[in-house]
Amino acid sequence: MIMAQSISKWMRNPMVAVGTCSGFFVSLTARPRTLGLQIQVQTQIKAFSLKGGSSSSGGRDFLALSDEELSRQCEMDTFKASGPGGQHRNKRESAVRIKHLPTGIIAQAVEDRSQHMNRASALARLRTQLALKVRNAVDLNGYQPPLELLQILPAKSTMRGSDCGSQIGPNNPKFVLGMQALLDLMFAVNGSVSDAAKFLGLSTGALSRLILSDDSLRMAVNELRTSKGMRPLV
Amino acid sequence: MNSSLPRTILSTISPYSLAFKRQKLPISTRVSGPVSFPSISSIPSSQKPRIPLFLRPPIFTTSLSDLQKWQQWANNLALSVGSKFVDSDNGPDTNILCREVKWLLEDAVEDKSILCQLVSPENGKLVKLRADLDELYCLWKQRIEERRPFQYIVGCEHWRDLVLSVQEGVLIPRPETELIVDLVSGLVLEEEGLREGIWADLGTGSGAIAIGLARILGDGGRVIATDLSPIAVSIAAFNVKRYDLQDKVEIRQGSWFEPLEDVKGELAGVVSNPPYIPSSQIVGLQAEVGRYEPRLALDGGENGMDDLLHLCEAAALMLKPGGFFAFETNGEKQSKFLLDFMTQKLATNVHNLEAISDFCGIKRFVTGFRR
Ligand SMILES: C[S@@+](CC[C@H](N)C(=O)[O-])C[C@H]1O[C@@H](n2cnc3c(N)ncnc32)[C@H](O)[C@@H]1O
Repeated sequence: MIMAQSISKWMRNPMVAVGTCSGFFVSLTARPRTLGLQIQVQTQIKAFSLKGGSSSSGGRDFLALSDEELSRQCEMDTFKASGPGGQHRNKRESAVRIKHLPTGIIAQAVEDRSQHMNRASALARLRTQLALKVRNAVDLNGYQPPLELLQILPAKSTMRGSDCGSQIGPNNPKFVLGMQALLDLMFAVNGSVSDAAKFLGLSTGALSRLILSDDSLRMAVNELRTSKGMRPLV
Repeated sequence: MNSSLPRTILSTISPYSLAFKRQKLPISTRVSGPVSFPSISSIPSSQKPRIPLFLRPPIFTTSLSDLQKWQQWANNLALSVGSKFVDSDNGPDTNILCREVKWLLEDAVEDKSILCQLVSPENGKLVKLRADLDELYCLWKQRIEERRPFQYIVGCEHWRDLVLSVQEGVLIPRPETELIVDLVSGLVLEEEGLREGIWADLGTGSGAIAIGLARILGDGGRVIATDLSPIAVSIAAFNVKRYDLQDKVEIRQGSWFEPLEDVKGELAGVVSNPPYIPSSQIVGLQAEVGRYEPRLALDGGENGMDDLLHLCEAAALMLKPGGFFAFETNGEKQSKFLLDFMTQKLATNVHNLEAISDFCGIKRFVTGFRR
């Protein structure tokens, strides 16, 4: 997740040196675009959940990729060009849309002042979307919350050791990873906040508050609950 | 091969008629570009770089509510444009202009976090500005009424992860061109000979490509950037210094490869975004471009390829064996023409020729290697 941090750093301060990191990677040599693994994941996503089996970790794999690797799985286009572009135009084509080919998820950014930064923003958004939309199977027998999930829990969780550091909030790029693991658990317990809270060593109220602290997390959980005929959290 | 191209293009490739063609023109007529628009009296005649707005000291103060009034006024002006500019010359629409209002504010205030308070400004609260509020009124009027490019108004352009100083007399770097640096970055990761070598950025303008390259090359790599325009040379030097790259980027004034005789046959890479617009199309350009940007940076001669053809020929001699070149073009037609030209005339010197698309899917770049 070092890359994600550096992205948010550039966005705050464009002068920060990023060394050899170009964010996106375009190669002159043709590279295979889809690997076996990705195709496998794609079919699983259609079923909206990765079936059993501890070997497959699908969505987690995407988030573990560096920006460069993740962008190699994407197709990027700016918004439709009108006219010849290039020297003919006062730059207006800096908006960016990327499509993540294995999942079909699309992310876009228009508000930054350079195409490069819009690409970085779009990629950060893609990571959020991947966390929200790609599910990993969770085995509830002997469930142990992964570290990235523990890190977003409040300090009072009884599952949380001292090695987890202080609680990571929604503005930290690492939050996406914890959010994905939390949603995996919520799907495994069919949307029940109280059941999930038990696995996390939290009170139901404390877990609700965590879910409500981030808009996209709240909406994802509520979508799940509504689909299961439960009341949405407010 | 060239059945799709007008005859006149074919005629330009008679050997050596194209080399150094541009330089024979009286330079004064070429450099006079943007001055043709009468209402900008502030165009600097000196070559001293102007400090971009975001780097000026925040020595002005105004109240938050007065700044809010400015913002409303500026957004209203933007709204009044509607699709007028789009219809007339494919210029900016209201959405884009409103985004620019926000960016102008970001550059003008000392502390950007104050901008979210503009929605309901606290009574009597003060803001520090880098330009007088009157100047902001004046600048935004120029933007809307005279179509002065936003980047010249704020004196900078965000390009890749850089913020480059620009002003009248220097081309505003385009988003398409960002890709040249990505192309090179893929290569230098893999090849030490390229990573640690000497690169040339010809017609460097603001220094954009040269600075982008310098930041991806290895410790031993360096960039020589050339430009014919003295204003470009001084702005490029300013930008190079701001990124603390004086040791890696050397700027030389002169025409294309002329200032590079000492490194002939030694270059690891040559990149350029030379002027490529056909002369006849200059008059019809978007107002921001045609009225304000230097003609020397845009006009590529009758078919737009005077400079590109010269660069393709000369690159084959200037590069070391295995060296790489990438040139930006006007699109499909020019790219194809240049590939055909090189395949037929320069095949003994260059290979692995390719036309590469920009992110709008337009074949924008020709690339290849010296044998
Ligand atoms: C399209 S601009 C590109 C500027 C910059 N490289 C960029 O991409 O933003 C072309 C540049 O070539 C320069 N130029 C024009 N004729 C030239 C010549 N004969 N020798 C060197 N540079 C020249 C212009 O001054 C201008 O800066």
